Order: sequence, then C-alpha cells, then structure tokens
Amino acid sequence: MTEVKIKKFKFFFIILCVIQLFYIFHFRSGFKYEIIKNPFNENAGISYALSAEVIEANSILKKQKVTDFNLSEGLKKDTYLYQRIIEFNYPIRINESSKLIFFLYAEDIPNTCKVIETGKYLKLTQC
Amino acid sequence: MIKKNFHEKIALVLSFLILNNYLLLSLNFPQLLIKINFLIFLVTVLVFYSKNFFENPFLKIFFLFIIFISLGTPTFEWDARSIWLFHAKRIFYDQSIFSIGDNYAAFSHNEYSSLAPAFASSLAFLVGHWNEVFPKLSFSLMFLPPLILTYAFLKDTQYLIFLSIVFFTIGKFLFNGWTDGLVAIYFGLSAFLMYLLFFIDTNFFKNRLLFYLLAFCFFISLTLIKNEGIALLFILFATTFIIKLYKGQLGKDISKLVFLSISFLPVIFWKFFCYSKGIGDYYINTNILLNLLPRLDDLNNYKLISYFLFLNEKFLIALIFFLLSFWIKLDKELFSFIFIVTAMYIFILFFIYLSTPFDFYWQLDSTAARVIKSLSFLLAFFGLYNLSNYKISY
Repeated sequence: MTEVKIKKFKFFFIILCVIQLFYIFHFRSGFKYEIIKNPFNENAGISYALSAEVIEANSILKKQKVTDFNLSEGLKKDTYLYQRIIEFNYPIRINESSKLIFFLYAEDIPNTCKVIETGKYLKLTQC
Repeated sequence: MIKKNFHEKIALVLSFLILNNYLLLSLNFPQLLIKINFLIFLVTVLVFYSKNFFENPFLKIFFLFIIFISLGTPTFEWDARSIWLFHAKRIFYDQSIFSIGDNYAAFSHNEYSSLAPAFASSLAFLVGHWNEVFPKLSFSLMFLPPLILTYAFLKDTQYLIFLSIVFFTIGKFLFNGWTDGLVAIYFGLSAFLMYLLFFIDTNFFKNRLLFYLLAFCFFISLTLIKNEGIALLFILFATTFIIKLYKGQLGKDISKLVFLSISFLPVIFWKFFCYSKGIGDYYINTNILLNLLPRLDDLNNYKLISYFLFLNEKFLIALIFFLLSFWIKLDKELFSFIFIVTAMYIFILFFIYLSTPFDFYWQLDSTAARVIKSLSFLLAFFGLYNLSNYKISY
C-alpha cells in the first residue's frame, strides 16, 4: 500500500474509534456530570443508582445507629427493594430475628410494634 | 524507542499484581500490604503511560477516556450492584474474601469467584471508604494487561482496528462494573497465548519463559473472573489436547499442558471452599437432569437458543469478519483451533441453557447477549490477527 493510503486507512480507524467511544459515552453509559465533579465523595452517585426508599432506609439506620434490621413481608415481596436495601446498607445486616423492622409507609403496622422513626417512604418499628 | 518486550513485561507485571492482590486477601495479609500492592499496580500503569507516550498513544488516550466515563457513572445495573460490587463491598468491610462463607444475601451468587471484586475492594482500601462510583474503576483497570499485551503483536493501524473491535464487542462493559467484558478479553488473549505456545510454527514463543508466565497469569485470571471462564479455559485445553493428539504431537507437548493446567488450582480451591460451606451453584446441581431432559426433545427450545445466540448483531458481524479473513488468507491450523473452540463453547451454551433452573425465555433474554460476547471478540480478534501479516498488493 502506498504511504498516503496507509495514512488514510489509519485516519479512518482513529475516527471510527472516536465515534465508537462517543457513542458508548453518550448513549450507553449513564454518565452524569454531577458525579464526575467528585467521584470519590462518600455519597457520590447515590441518587442516580438507588431509589428514594433505599436511600431513606440507609439514613434512618445510620441515624438510629443499629447493627441489624428486618423487613416487613411487603418489603420482602418487592425484589428490587429487598435486594437493594440489603446491598446498600451493608455492613448493617438484615436479620430475621431483629426486632427493628422496616415497613412501607402505607403498610399496616401490627399492634405489637412501636414506631421509632417515620420517613417519607418507610417506617422503622420495634416489634 | 522502547526496550524489547516492554509491553509483554508490563502486561505480566500488571496481571501478576491483580492475582497477587487476590492471594494477599486470601491469606489474610495486613491491609498495608494490599494497599502497597495496589500502589505498585498504579505506578506500573504510570510507567506504561510515561515511557515514550507516543509509542502506543491510542490505547493511552482512549483508556483515559474510559476512566473518565467510569468515574462519572453510578453503579446501577443488577449484576454490577448485586453480585460484583456487593461482593467487593463485603470484602472491603469484612477484610476477607472468605466472609461469603456465611452465604449472606444468597441472591448475590456467593459461589462466584472474586478476583474482580477483590481488586475493587483494594482500591477502596486505598481510598479509605466505599461509595457507589469509584470501586468499579478497578474493573476497567483489569482490562489493561490484555490490552497492553496485544500491542506486542498488533502495531499501528492494526492496533487501532483491534481497539475498534474492543469498543464494538465489549462496549459499555469496559466500565459498568460487570465482568462479562473481562471474560471476553481474557478468553481471547488466553486463546491467543495457547495458540502461540502450542500451534504457531516458530519456536520463538515456545522457548520463552515470559510467555508461559503470561499464559499462566491470564489462565488463572480467566477462571477467577467468572464461572464461564472455567468452561472457556477447559475448552482451550481440550481443543489443544485434541489437535495435538490428532497430529501425533501430544507426547512432545503434554508436559507443558500439564504445567499450565495448574492454573485451574485456585478456582478449584475456591469451589471446594464454597462446597464445604454448603454454598451451591444455581446451574450445576442435582436437578440438572430434571431440567434438561424435558427440554431435550422440543425443537423450539433449540430454535429459541439459536435465535438469541446467533442473531446477535455483534456476533454476526464478528463471524462474517472471521470468515472473510480466512477466505482471504487461509491458515488451516489457526482456523481449526478457533473453529473447535467456538463449536465446543456453543455446545456447552446449549447444554447450560437447556438445563437452566430458571425460566427458559427469561434466562436467554437476560444473558445470551452477554455470554456470546466472548465468541464475538474471539472471532473478530483472530480474524484480525490472521490478516495482520497479509500484504495487500496493487
């Protein structure tokens, strides 16, 4: 191949790589300028990665300084909330025998339980 | 000009440090050593960047952009959050890769091996806390050893085409905290190293310890990234064994194959640990035949698997490129090697999908596009390599 053709060929693939990266960045990544401003901040990206219920559960648990918790049947049935609350709150663990139980705001709370804290989406109770 | 073997050595050092990180965590070494290990990794990356920047500028520039994207995206997809980065978070807080022995949060597939999560947790050790963004950067960093190694074989425009293949087949898996992209790249390069050490005509690679060490590190990494990696490495060994047996050269190479098969040991230890704790595998269990047998005689199941696996646009383009490449320049031995590897993996995929304990359609819909990435990358990579020495005449 002549020198000029090689250069054109190379230039074509440089442009192709740039276009591919731009496509991944713009359409496939979920990139947020808010996050890149401080990616090492302890709370970076939380609001984009998790629902408000999960974030609220974490702030209540931290505020109450508890080491374990349990979830109501309503919360356990919601796979998304069940799994994300477990992941996000680690090292605070879910414990089936814990007396501290989260309920959804709209859920009925048994008479044997006392509400400790009420948030916008969840209630933490002691049963 | 950079010294001879620079890229091979950098790839070996980085790959070794990733494995060493896993080893240090496995043996409960102090956190200080784990931090030092990660710092050495970062310094080695800096050496790669600073030593004659213009030697391989495209990877260096494009990879910086990958880092930028990784640090600007939250971890929001299920596998990344619930499996890989949750395992990493557990290692970070419990300071041990064996804490999963309690099988807490069983939905997170505790039986999966933890090479990538261990590396992510070490970055968090270094930073000093956990968050939802930066730990997955370490997954991106794990792409560097195979990407750097490839530069030793494909230069200039060929390397640009290689990067284009990586962006096309791996895409967002370069930074989203999943391990499927890592499996694809490590599998492709492991197959390449196997080819160099056992099949290529020249003795140049067969006589150099450096390439055996590289193969050893890449093979171990492949098995410890994800369960698919174990099957893929087994396929590479089985294919090499079959071809060597067919050609009557097995006696000459059997000792090398046995030596390299030691790379299965770490994952065997891991699986034994999981088994001893009663942590089972969702797929490989006593119900496998119960799931498989009723599906075997229904042709629609085969059609559905074929639809999901083969009508993937990336796989089809990679396959066409591979076939075109070997139509232009036929290397029978290389073609046979890749053909057998591909056929074996497709057979295993059919077996796995037919025996899935989950809903058949859901399983295919949620995993097929990811699983086929390994083959898409393999075919495109070897298609390119086959043409790398081809001279176009006018």
